[in-house]
Amino acid sequence: MPQVTLKPITSRPPAVIASLAVLAIFGFIGVTKLVNRFGEQQKALARHLYQRALEDQKDGKPDLAVEHFRDALVYSPDNFEYRLQLARALRDTGRTEEAEAYLVSLWERAPQDGAVNLALGRLAARQNSIDKALQYYHNAIYGVWSSDADDRRLQAWFELIEFLLKENARPQAEAELITLSAELPPRTDLRLRVADLFATTQLYERALAEYSQVLKVDDRNERALAGAGEAEFKLGHFRDAERYLGELSAANSQDSQVARMLEVSREVLARDPFRGYISIEERNQRLRGIFEDAGKRLESCMASENGKPQAAGLSALETQWNDMKRELVRLRSSREAGLPNRVMDLVLKIEQQTQICPPSATDEALMLLAQNRGSEL
Amino acid sequence: MSQVTDAPVLHGKSVPPEVVKIPHFSGAFREERFFLVLSVFIGIFAGMAVVCFRLFIEWTRIGLLGPAPEPHTLRVLFIPALIGLVVSVLVIHVFPQVRGSGVNQTKSALYIFNGFIPFRTAIGKFITAALAIGGGHSLGPEDPSLQIGAGLASALGRRMNFSREKLRLFAPIGAAAGLAAAFNAPISAVLFVIEEVIGRWSVGVMGPVVLSAISSVVVVRWFLGSQPIFRIPPVTSARPTELIAYGVLGIVGGVAAIIFAQAIGFLRPKLRGLPKWTQYLQSSAAGLCIGLIGYLGAPQVMGAGYEYMDQAMHDQFTWKVLAILAGLKIIATTLSFVSGTPGGMFAPALFVGAMLGGAVGGVERIFYPHLTGTTGTYALVGMGVLFAGFLRAPLTSVFMVLEVSGNYSIIVPVMLANSIAYVISRSLQPVPIFDVLTRQDGLDLPSLEEQREEMVLRVEDAMRPPPTPILEAGETVGQANQSIQHSPATVFLVRLSPSGWASVTLDLLKRLESEGKSEMTLGSALPNQSLPYLHPDFQLELALRYVYQTPVVPVVSRADFRKLEGVITSEDVLNKYRVVPREEED
Repeated sequence: MPQVTLKPITSRPPAVIASLAVLAIFGFIGVTKLVNRFGEQQKALARHLYQRALEDQKDGKPDLAVEHFRDALVYSPDNFEYRLQLARALRDTGRTEEAEAYLVSLWERAPQDGAVNLALGRLAARQNSIDKALQYYHNAIYGVWSSDADDRRLQAWFELIEFLLKENARPQAEAELITLSAELPPRTDLRLRVADLFATTQLYERALAEYSQVLKVDDRNERALAGAGEAEFKLGHFRDAERYLGELSAANSQDSQVARMLEVSREVLARDPFRGYISIEERNQRLRGIFEDAGKRLESCMASENGKPQAAGLSALETQWNDMKRELVRLRSSREAGLPNRVMDLVLKIEQQTQICPPSATDEALMLLAQNRGSEL
Repeated sequence: MSQVTDAPVLHGKSVPPEVVKIPHFSGAFREERFFLVLSVFIGIFAGMAVVCFRLFIEWTRIGLLGPAPEPHTLRVLFIPALIGLVVSVLVIHVFPQVRGSGVNQTKSALYIFNGFIPFRTAIGKFITAALAIGGGHSLGPEDPSLQIGAGLASALGRRMNFSREKLRLFAPIGAAAGLAAAFNAPISAVLFVIEEVIGRWSVGVMGPVVLSAISSVVVVRWFLGSQPIFRIPPVTSARPTELIAYGVLGIVGGVAAIIFAQAIGFLRPKLRGLPKWTQYLQSSAAGLCIGLIGYLGAPQVMGAGYEYMDQAMHDQFTWKVLAILAGLKIIATTLSFVSGTPGGMFAPALFVGAMLGGAVGGVERIFYPHLTGTTGTYALVGMGVLFAGFLRAPLTSVFMVLEVSGNYSIIVPVMLANSIAYVISRSLQPVPIFDVLTRQDGLDLPSLEEQREEMVLRVEDAMRPPPTPILEAGETVGQANQSIQHSPATVFLVRLSPSGWASVTLDLLKRLESEGKSEMTLGSALPNQSLPYLHPDFQLELALRYVYQTPVVPVVSRADFRKLEGVITSEDVLNKYRVVPREEED
């Protein structure tokens, strides 16, 4: 290598330092311009790739979308939105561990961010981790959202409850629902959703209260009428159930379940032998009618299920029914005070054991009457 | 107790370090201080140059291969070959000095050319390496960055009136700045330059090197942000038993490093031995092979590959894909490098290490699902392993992983795996890759690894027992003559008061007695001159400076200068040097 001797620029250090400082300033200005231009180009590329990824998602190409999200992040590595979308895309393609790595890094940057917490909550839900899901969903519910904060918080809350119900975590789901119902804004759709969830968790009293709130505002709301009717029905309040369901039916509801509940409710109300303000004769007549219908049910079920192992106990019931029929003549006697209950016991037993055959509305009514005897229907 | 010092001791006083005063520098601007200020400017300029270099690589890559290189596209297949041709023409006709490793060229500047690196080389390296890396050749930007920094510093240094010793240091200082800017990791860069280029630790070297590295990193962070090269996933600390898993990674990494280094060491001279006209086509042919690898489904091996290391660390590849990528990267980098395409091997070594680490971790987890280390942890450790095994910089490899990860809980696995890889690599390939390349280039630069491992001879290895009796300064000449009359020695040591040593010969004692000075004490009768003395742990070379000044040099304890451990003579030193080569041969 040739040795080249250059002429010294100066032997005065202060002058050298001043010259170098000036040179450095010019260098900084030049490099800043280059870096800015480079940064703009990178951002544009990132945006372009991000849009492609979103289009891929729309076109149902999740794997390609993941690749394009990744490419977008190469050019804009700090972009929160791109990372979040990539994490979601990874989660949706089943790469949960990778998605979690991205989300956790985002969470470390913004632990209060609602969207990140919601994504982590969904990931935990996908992994069936109730504790982690509760933690992240709660963070999302009480976190910071960039837009539509109220709506998104409520959506997160509903998602959490639905997840808990799916996981059979009923106590946690009930607790969340009760808290949510107390903080609901006055919106019919939300009340109805909460009421439906209460009904799903079998908190019928609370469901009824929510449906009633809706009906106060909109007394012809079909979903509220159906829900209230069903809640009353489940609570054994057949008169109120018949009222709600009747109104719904009058409004030309085509719902077969509603029609069935209405039919059962009416039959229960018409055939209840323990209802107040009816004569002894009326009561006995109703009891005989119930007894006869139970006998017919037993007979038809035995005929249809003959020879099948499930029908083994039915012949014993038939014997009991025949024995009870002989006793039924004593129904008139006021000394046989326990007989009506014994009749209803047998009816209950028959209806329970003939569940193997498809029950009619009458059978449902008989079952309910036998179960709820004496209570205010 | 006297102060313990490694400086030689003469007349009971430590010899002060040589202070070089240059006539041009006076007052506040003495050479040392001016040198430090200049090292900051070197860092600033090197940082800006590396920023521009990175931008140029990115623009080239996007322009030539597109924003997201995809397999089965013609540009992925042909662009590396085309760029190879362009780069070959530039290297042969315009920038002939840019061939080869920047580390070695910086070392050559330090040891052979008094710190001289032509500025043209820095410019050439900038252009050709950016084209090659941006065009898909499997090489990294760190080594060129190092050389660009060294070239800038050398150009600046040559225009200053510095001593030769300082002039020589400009290139390594620039190298540290360039490497620190490229890695965004100042500690690793400083360590690497000290460990691999300069080879010695001293305040005079450390200060400027550290300052330049820090200032270049500050500049890079100013322009490009402070985020590290990789997003490091959560790193899990290993249970003690899991260290075995990292030990296995060290073994695999050590073997891979040897394969990598052997392939380069074997193929490079073969290709250089081909007719000269083939040099136009070598880089192009390498580019075609790399393009084919990318075309067939592995575009990850093209370029430096940092984004794919990041993906590997985040568990985005299966262990099989990781293993395949590691193998293909070794092939692609070997082809690129041996064909003379300008570019470095740091990034490829890290790439291979990350992929191999992830793959080994993946396989281990199949057999031992309870292992807690994530793929990211194994990939990170793998990077250090290849750095230690392939580049043979054990200390830098550990600090690089720590600096890149920012996590100290990983230190034990890293140290274990790196040490294993280093030991395996050293055992199976005694000459490190940089030294192999140097020797292939016909240069004989000091091998710092060999120096580190060289046997050091110390004074204690050559000294002999002290001659008896030892005389005291308070003894009279007559008493002294009495006590030595049965001794076969001809030179005796005299312990002075309160400290220090003098020597006296048998002849001198007899003469003093004949002159009637029997009643005089030795302290007053002997000339007022104390001997230099040595400590047993001093290097034997140091003894050479003193053994010719006096017949015997006392070797005294560091804890008590009046306690004699032995004596050493010129004959002892020479005998030891004569014997040692024979011992080494045995």
